[in-house]
Amino acid sequence: MIISFIHSFQSEWLKKKRSLSSWLVIVGGFFTPIIIIIARLVHYKQLPALYAKEGFWNQLWQSSWESMAIFLLPVGVILATSLITQLEYKNNTWKQLHTAPLSFTSIFFSKLLVIVIMVVQFFILFNIGIYLSALIPYLLVKGVPYPAAQLPFAAVLKEDGYYFMDCLPIVALQYLLSLKYKNFLVPVGIGFGLWIASLGALSWKFGYLIPYAYCMLNFLKNQTNGRAAIPAINIHVMAVGYFILISIVGYIMYLTKKEKG
Amino acid sequence: MYCVQTRQLSHNFSAQAAVLQTINLQVPKGSIYGFLGPNGAGKTTTLRLLLGLLKQQQGEILIFGKALEQNRVAILKQVGSLIESPSLYGHLTATENMLLWQKIYQCPKERIAAVLHLVGLADTGNKKAGQFSLGMKQRLSIAVALLHNPELLVLDEPTNGLDPNGMIEIRSLLLQLNQEQGITILLSSHLLAEIEKLVSHVGVINKGQMMFQGTLDDLKSKQQEALSIVFETNNTMQTLQIIRDNDLLPQVADGKVIIPAVSKNITAKIIQQLVNNGIEVYEAGIIKNDLESIFMELINN
Repeated sequence: MIISFIHSFQSEWLKKKRSLSSWLVIVGGFFTPIIIIIARLVHYKQLPALYAKEGFWNQLWQSSWESMAIFLLPVGVILATSLITQLEYKNNTWKQLHTAPLSFTSIFFSKLLVIVIMVVQFFILFNIGIYLSALIPYLLVKGVPYPAAQLPFAAVLKEDGYYFMDCLPIVALQYLLSLKYKNFLVPVGIGFGLWIASLGALSWKFGYLIPYAYCMLNFLKNQTNGRAAIPAINIHVMAVGYFILISIVGYIMYLTKKEKG
Repeated sequence: MYCVQTRQLSHNFSAQAAVLQTINLQVPKGSIYGFLGPNGAGKTTTLRLLLGLLKQQQGEILIFGKALEQNRVAILKQVGSLIESPSLYGHLTATENMLLWQKIYQCPKERIAAVLHLVGLADTGNKKAGQFSLGMKQRLSIAVALLHNPELLVLDEPTNGLDPNGMIEIRSLLLQLNQEQGITILLSSHLLAEIEKLVSHVGVINKGQMMFQGTLDDLKSKQQEALSIVFETNNTMQTLQIIRDNDLLPQVADGKVIIPAVSKNITAKIIQQLVNNGIEVYEAGIIKNDLESIFMELINN
């Protein structure tokens, strides 16, 4: 079973080569850092003072994650997850995959694992991008010192871990929807609807119940301007709980599907 | 021994009429079995059930003598398939497409080049499968089905979309695989003429029911049974009466009298009686029904 799962995973990993979803991971990972680099090069005169600040890394981290947590990460996960299953619909390959000597369990979880690893890949690229957005202006602009503050590795890893857990419910629900509906627009439309609902419900005290809200809530947790109603419970545990629950429901739905291609 | 066998296999997609009704398919090991029927007869549904793509509702499916439901993965290791249109990843090259199936089947990597060569796609280089012609896609799909050296090939209308040359090539490839490697082939088609020269066994399905199953020779003997004799005379009514007096059941079509095939002696006797009764005989001959007519007759019954 484990061997067959590994073979299935290897095959799934090959399928995403040159696919739109794999490009989305690369573009999404470097999009915000590139914007930051351009903005810094445009306002290069302010850079020496900025790079000398004690809170340099924290500020860079916050500005990098602002658009990412609110917009790019949820939307990127919605699109990338739906695109992975769309590969099978678009190419008419579900039937070939389901006649391969693989258990349905292996097929379901190997695809899910590919998506989760793509999210990890995105986080790695995004972190590299953030570092490059600090390094490139330092290398290109004369007189800009290397950031005086020490790189907060532990805090970065901790926050990455939180954001990773927080986007997992989106992965699970989009995966469930995209397995259920052949038409790409349905899972993407529902995903966008839930993302907008999460945005609209940020200041509502029960807004945290929407599974797409956790990345935003994690970003806004330290802000005191009332933009978001931060619940007293641990949202990361809740996100992981949602992920497990939705994945189990998706697995049962996939297993009990009467027609498999 | 049967390589594929179904017992009382029935299936319906809704509460309405059954798509398949008590199908007892019997595909002998080492045979090339042509599964024939018009569009919508239930061929693809049967093949999808055999491959586990549809949930079994009623009946039993045995492949290599084992129940499909309980041994799905073990059975599929020995089965290669192509159902309806080609299933290929359009953004990958032919070799990359093969590579991802090689990972699953864990067959030697050398098989990729070998089967691509076999189907004539060895030189497609970096061209993506999405840019292939329909014939090339079909051949690549057959290569995928052959990759792991299966004991059984299930092909749903494998020559769909191929030009006449492509059809001949695929037919000779299948014949070669069957004769040299002993692969059992179950292939569906809606045209008897297309597979007549290829198959050893035939199953005819129509409206979800098996109309005929047996060897191609059995079908040909049906053709023999279906021979008729035609008489064209200047007096149809009197001709009918004379034939009836010989204990035969004549029919009239286009002003001609037709009877089931009888011995040469009886034919001669009838002609003599017609002449003796002053009837002018313009034509007396044998109508040979070809296999296609037999097939049409079976599906129109």
